[in-house]
Amino acid sequence: MRARDHDGAPRPLTVAVALTVIVFLQIPVLVVVLAAFSETSYLTLPPQGLTLNWFAKVLSDPTYLSAIRMSLILAVSSTAISLVIGVAASYALFRKAVPGAEAIVAALMSPLALPAVVIGVALLQYYSLTGLRGSLAGLVMAHVVITSPYVVRSAFASLAGVDVATEEAARVLGATGLEAFRLVTLPLIAPGMAAGALFSFITSFDNVPVTIFLINAQQTTLPVLIFSSVEMGVDPGVAAVSTLLILATGLGLLAAERLVGFHRFV
Amino acid sequence: MIAPRHGLLLVTPLALTLIGFFLIPVLLLLPTSFREYAPGQGFTPGVWTLENYIRIVTDGFYLEVIARTLLLGLLVTLACLLLGYPLAYLIARGPARWRTALILAVTFPMLLNLVVRSFGWIALLTSRGLVNNLLVQLGLISAPLKLMYNLTGLMIGLTHIYLPFMVFMLVAAIRNVPREVEAAAATLGSSRLHVFTAVTLPLSAPGVLSGSILVFVLTISALVTPRMLGGPTYKVMATVIYDEYMQLLDWASGSALSFTLAAMAIGVIWASSRLTKRWAGMT
Amino acid sequence: MSSLAFERLAKSYGGVDVVREVSLRIEQGEFVSLLGPSGCGKTTILRMAAGLVAPSRGRILIGEEDVTALPPNRRDLGLVFQSYALFPHLTVFENVAFGLRRKRTSPAEMQARVAEALAMVRLAAFGDRYPRQLSGGQQQRVAIARALAPRPRVLLLDEPLSNLDAQLRDEMQFELKRLQRGLGVTTLLVTHDQGEALSLSDKVCVMAHGVMQQFGPPEDIYRRPATSFVAGFIGRPNRLKGVVVTRRGGGGLLRIANGLMVEAGHVEVEEGGDAEIVIRPEAIGLAVRKRAEGEFAGRVVLRSFAGARAQVLARLDGGPELVIDLPSAALPDDLAPDAPVAVSISPSGVFALSGRTA
Repeated sequence: MRARDHDGAPRPLTVAVALTVIVFLQIPVLVVVLAAFSETSYLTLPPQGLTLNWFAKVLSDPTYLSAIRMSLILAVSSTAISLVIGVAASYALFRKAVPGAEAIVAALMSPLALPAVVIGVALLQYYSLTGLRGSLAGLVMAHVVITSPYVVRSAFASLAGVDVATEEAARVLGATGLEAFRLVTLPLIAPGMAAGALFSFITSFDNVPVTIFLINAQQTTLPVLIFSSVEMGVDPGVAAVSTLLILATGLGLLAAERLVGFHRFV
Repeated sequence: MIAPRHGLLLVTPLALTLIGFFLIPVLLLLPTSFREYAPGQGFTPGVWTLENYIRIVTDGFYLEVIARTLLLGLLVTLACLLLGYPLAYLIARGPARWRTALILAVTFPMLLNLVVRSFGWIALLTSRGLVNNLLVQLGLISAPLKLMYNLTGLMIGLTHIYLPFMVFMLVAAIRNVPREVEAAAATLGSSRLHVFTAVTLPLSAPGVLSGSILVFVLTISALVTPRMLGGPTYKVMATVIYDEYMQLLDWASGSALSFTLAAMAIGVIWASSRLTKRWAGMT
Repeated sequence: MSSLAFERLAKSYGGVDVVREVSLRIEQGEFVSLLGPSGCGKTTILRMAAGLVAPSRGRILIGEEDVTALPPNRRDLGLVFQSYALFPHLTVFENVAFGLRRKRTSPAEMQARVAEALAMVRLAAFGDRYPRQLSGGQQQRVAIARALAPRPRVLLLDEPLSNLDAQLRDEMQFELKRLQRGLGVTTLLVTHDQGEALSLSDKVCVMAHGVMQQFGPPEDIYRRPATSFVAGFIGRPNRLKGVVVTRRGGGGLLRIANGLMVEAGHVEVEEGGDAEIVIRPEAIGLAVRKRAEGEFAGRVVLRSFAGARAQVLARLDGGPELVIDLPSAALPDDLAPDAPVAVSISPSGVFALSGRTA
């Protein structure tokens, strides 16, 4: 018998299954990319003919373009708002500056527990009652509701890594509470918050179950547009815009990994 | 060191936002669920009824949809556990230099738009999709398999969507199992399989439970993937809610079903946290 | 440079009194240590002085100014944390300059003061480094430079040397003393290490259970402990129980176990009363011969050699075990386990105290 390590490292079978699962995870992504370049509107392997036509069609279609713009506006504004009010609340709660901090945190995370479709219909009814139906502000606030738990979670994780003594040192050295936060705490939580902002952005950009109840025909978002288009059949135009999304996500992920070591925060 | 009045000031914007745009809207669904809806005319004024809820537990259509939703939840959770554990184990215990790449490989599909991923599965699973074309070409089947608009298609699609969530929760759970305890078991006579079943698995159980609860609740709440892979006829609870609100305009029934779904999700989460607390007390 | 005073300072958390009515005055330029075991309230007092914790009762005065209600950034103090609390994202230079920036110091003056502070702690060339690139001792020196650069009125130190290894600790003790003397800054140091407190300070305040036990120069603390806590905490004395037989002047005669009588130089308890007896190990003498008048017969149990000094554990015949501390040069050559020895106890090292904690 040959001597081997017995230190709990995965066995070849485990590795094989694991790698198969990794491949399984990437398959739909590859399929979509393939479909975007395929000349025919159905998919074969190998694809019959390659073309960039679908990309050209999508990028010149005003419906798609305005949907992309709406998604971006929503994602950026809701993320920005969530970041500001989320970090502020998390800071106060983490330092237990209010009574019942733990209960409040649990309450702030509750949107994650409720099915998104329930949030969607609740807001639909609420906005109909309050006249916010179809308004951009209403949409933005709906997205703040669904993205803020991710910001709060990231903030808590980041704040846990900051030694409170550094804030105290800043105070004794002459900084006001706000200055201590701005000069010491904020730079130290920035990488974690960048990851939280990315999660928040993606959550907003991708959202369908809440958004679909609140948009009207004039302003739709990209995922809702794709969702509705698909109801009518597999259209390579959809594949093209999906491929663009895949590209954007991939680049975003790589950038996040490079800049802040994203894999640490997952 | 933050003065309480400053603390309150910092928490208020987010608290107000959630109260105004989450709590109140959801609570307002409750009264709606007790109204009576007359098709084409809206709510019958002044009528309050339990009919919406009664229908949910007596009508065969609803019962079938609920049963299907729960079954899907169970099957997807199981599939994610079986497929996810080896992958999580590889990430947690495998070579360190693989770790970042593996994590990114799991994160990437997770960040990808849900609609895009579901669309990918449609392209794969329809009767003229990639899987059927391949199988026909290879001569393995003569007629295309029905992989969409049924439980199979939904199961495959939903497992794929929620697998990354399970994997990350399992990674955290496995990381919490001290390798030295496993080593101790080995020196006391445990085979590798026994170490796994007697030490690793039980000690990672809380994480296994958290991951399972997460995937189960996400699955029963899902709207997009079941709609895209199930089509307009093969329904789950979320898609029925969608139809009742957007097509049938029966907001009363839709609210009742929403509350039922919400109650299920919260009930499952609450029950599991009680279980976790009991386990934590035992270890 | 100012004085620092506490007037009946107290702090309670819930129903628990962590600091009970401490009144203390540290004169301008003095170096005072707050000494006590963990949990005695000394760190709480320091944090109240800094403004990080609000007192439940009492006042804090810097010079003539009542700062009790002032936030920490307006007290003009320096604080060196036990964990150093350097800003990890700033260079050493920026760390030291932080307080100066808050005071809106001109760039030229700031450069000069940072350079001066770093030179004081002998880290002049380290300005561009980051804290994670420094050793523990270097980080600690940066923390000191950072606290001193803004020329605070008072310097507070929270167990600054406890994270250093023994040799570094001894070196840094001298450094601290030299710095303090050179700058003449009013200093309050919190520590549980009595050697540190006694060697560094002009005055020592011994604390236990939130109560001030004694406040005075190191010699007083050592030679004339005011309470049995102080007597028992300082040095590593032998502790026994006994009865006061007679009192004469400040001292008297004590009876310890089995009728053994010991002369004490310092007796607090009335005649006939029970006393907590403390005998300093270095006040006990040892010789390998039969006992003479006024000495005790005993046997050696253990001996240990610790470099410059040595300890011998001896059991008095019919009496307790005592630890004897002597210079290792004075250790008899023929000392073997179980050897019969003559033990002499100098009354100046014997204290009979009441057992109250003030």
